[in-house]
Amino acid sequence: MPAKVVVRDLRKRYGEVEAARGVSFEIQDSEIFGLLGPNGSGKTTTVECVIGLREPDGGDIEVCGIDARRRPHDVKQKIGAALQTTALQDKITPREALTLFGAFYRDSEAPQAMLDRFALTAKADAPFDTLSGGQRQRLALALAFVNKPELVFLDEPTSGLDPQSRRELRAEVAKMKRDGHTVLLTTHDIDEAEELCDRIAIIDQGRIIAAGAPHDLVARSAATQSVSLVTSEPLDPALLSGLPGVEELTGDGTRIRFRTSNAGACVAELMTLLEREHTALVELEVRKATLEDVFIGLTGTSLRE
Amino acid sequence: MNGWLHQLEITLRLHFRNKMALLYGYLFPLIFLVAFWVLYRHERVPLARHMGELLTVTALGGACFGLPTAMVSERERGVWRRYRLAPVSTHSLVAGTVAARYIALVTAGLLQVALAMAVGMPAPRHPFDLWVAFTFVSFAFLGLGLVMAMMADNVPAVQALGQCIFLPMLIIGGIAVPLASLPEWAQHVSAFFPGRYAVEALQASVTGNGLGSARFDLLALVLVGASGCAAAGGMFRWDSQQRFAARGGKAWLALALGGWAAVGLIAESRGRIGAGDRAVPADQAIVRQPPAAAPTNAPANPLPATSAPPVTAPPAVTTPPVMTTPPTVTPGAPRVTTPPSRTAPSPETGKPAAPEPAAPVPDLPPTSEPRPTPADKPAAPEPRGPSSWQAVTPADIERDLVFDRLPSDQGVVTPIAPADEDPDPEVAEDLEFVRQSLPNWGPGKVADPVQRVRNYLYVAAVPDVFQIPVERHMAHVVYERLQEDIPKDQLIQILYWIALHPNGGDDSALDQVWALRLGNGPSDAEQTRERAAFYAVKLLGRLTGKIVPR
Repeated sequence: MPAKVVVRDLRKRYGEVEAARGVSFEIQDSEIFGLLGPNGSGKTTTVECVIGLREPDGGDIEVCGIDARRRPHDVKQKIGAALQTTALQDKITPREALTLFGAFYRDSEAPQAMLDRFALTAKADAPFDTLSGGQRQRLALALAFVNKPELVFLDEPTSGLDPQSRRELRAEVAKMKRDGHTVLLTTHDIDEAEELCDRIAIIDQGRIIAAGAPHDLVARSAATQSVSLVTSEPLDPALLSGLPGVEELTGDGTRIRFRTSNAGACVAELMTLLEREHTALVELEVRKATLEDVFIGLTGTSLRE
Repeated sequence: MNGWLHQLEITLRLHFRNKMALLYGYLFPLIFLVAFWVLYRHERVPLARHMGELLTVTALGGACFGLPTAMVSERERGVWRRYRLAPVSTHSLVAGTVAARYIALVTAGLLQVALAMAVGMPAPRHPFDLWVAFTFVSFAFLGLGLVMAMMADNVPAVQALGQCIFLPMLIIGGIAVPLASLPEWAQHVSAFFPGRYAVEALQASVTGNGLGSARFDLLALVLVGASGCAAAGGMFRWDSQQRFAARGGKAWLALALGGWAAVGLIAESRGRIGAGDRAVPADQAIVRQPPAAAPTNAPANPLPATSAPPVTAPPAVTTPPVMTTPPTVTPGAPRVTTPPSRTAPSPETGKPAAPEPAAPVPDLPPTSEPRPTPADKPAAPEPRGPSSWQAVTPADIERDLVFDRLPSDQGVVTPIAPADEDPDPEVAEDLEFVRQSLPNWGPGKVADPVQRVRNYLYVAAVPDVFQIPVERHMAHVVYERLQEDIPKDQLIQILYWIALHPNGGDDSALDQVWALRLGNGPSDAEQTRERAAFYAVKLLGRLTGKIVPR
């Protein structure tokens, strides 16, 4: 089956800033694809070029088999999108918004069906400015689905939401996955990307620097494991510097953290050292490399910065 | 189309849910109307003479504040970005927004007219024309509002831009301050603003002769609106992050400004600058014009008006032999001669003006600078017609004067109140003072009957130029006095003579209208002479039965 989205060598510049520098990726049918990157990495620019909100400076974009740069109106009939910065007029109601946007398409869902599906029936006739953040985001999702899209773009859908709303939205995206929808999701939340996406692409400074399934990215990476321990007596961290592969060593009395590329040998020698120093081990945690570790390893910066 | 209609419907619904929009769009225009009603309470026909201004302010506010504020606010919130994701064209979305605003403007205008009628204003004389005029006015201002929406990066910027346009248009653009009250330079400036054309077109539909006399106004409004819409289309932006200063396409702004400039330049080239009866210049309104192809040396013997186009220019008027300056006339007009100085001989008789009367004349108040006279006007063909006022015949009147193109009695220029309309007490008191004073008024006693009639006509013309409350009734007082003082046959001849020779005689009487409590007299004597000529024809029409007041 042909890819739903094919982006090749996408380029976009804002004055001196090159936001997209040859971005290329593909999204397969029924796939949840995540575009992961920090703020300013170019992921929103990439998505906006794909859905027709911005005119790229160069590159090819094909959506659902249609040349998106030549036939943007045809593409818009087939896609839905929930944007990060979308808001509606203060006094428009969810029912009116769904009716209005549905009227723009050749084929659309009944407003009531969308209200039911996205749990907005109770607020169907409430003005937009009385909706909570989660309800607004659900309405944005409902609008993205109002035209029965083949492909949905979600630009940081959980950004700025409270934990409860965030969980609800993640559940909604998970349902899309089960329903076989094709979704492009941008996020700077690693946990979200790891939980929801079949495949992710890490974008940094306008380039895709890695792509694949989350577990493959972690497995392929040379990222180190992290070790943290708590001792019964304060211990000089310098004593641990000789352990195998130790780096990024930090300590604060009884609490010590470090990373190592050889966790097994390192922990064995740590036990010997503690016994020699007559210090008991109160707590020990060895954590495998995460997607964030992969990202830091690739870019040198943290997603959470 | 389905999407367009839905967007129109939703935009209208949201407009009517917005309390601030209702306040500014509906309540404020009604407050303006009530304010005008209170300010001009002396008028027997309340508000009729101000509907052009009131409706223009309504359209201006709704189109140049309401529309861009709504559009910029929605753009800032990201609503237009969301619209852009839908498979719908920019033009369709903008057209829906503008159409909704137009409907809002029409409802606000209807409400204003309805309230005005509720407090006594008669129904507009040309309701269909009024709707057409209001549509043109809305189009012009909505085009301007779209340009503002594309220029302003945020809502406060809309307010700033709006004030930059709104206030000059109100003050020197012919909307809040009558053009007649503006200095000449401001009248020239106002020709470049769409406001004056809006007022003229609307007023012509409410109290005037309809849009037939406002074709240029409609053209001007279309030009301004079309250039605004085209420029806004070129500068359109969906996203508030696209700052105006950082975007290309600002050259489109030149197109919008070009529309205004073109309108002003056309008005200048057509001489449509000054105040007064702009649609029909005074000389064209009251004096029949020659056929366009008529040679300048056309036969002096004119054909009857009923069988052929009347000939305008009467035979050359005898120029007083003692005059040292050459006789001059206004271009295209059959006006004659240089208005003499206060001591110059009367052109009507060739004799020195009669001495001031023996009647007690209080100390004259200080007079202003000498009034400009039309003496330096370029020369034009001498008028033909009777050689003196005594030679005027009914055939001359029939041939040379037109009575159906005069400014409306209910209009701004040379108004005359219905005969059965009682003036307000304060106005009645002022009128009675004039009525009692006129028999002893010096300029009313000059020997030359033509000059005497001219002086009386100034008494009606001065309040008209000043737009003071007695203006609508003063013509009746003057008419009574003229009939008391001058035999009817002579009066008919003299009024004809003055109509064809508005610049004849002298205007020293203007310095004595203060004795009638009418101020010091306008500084623009030419405008006063023009108004006097209008009144001459209006009174002549009543005297001869050519005009039957309603």
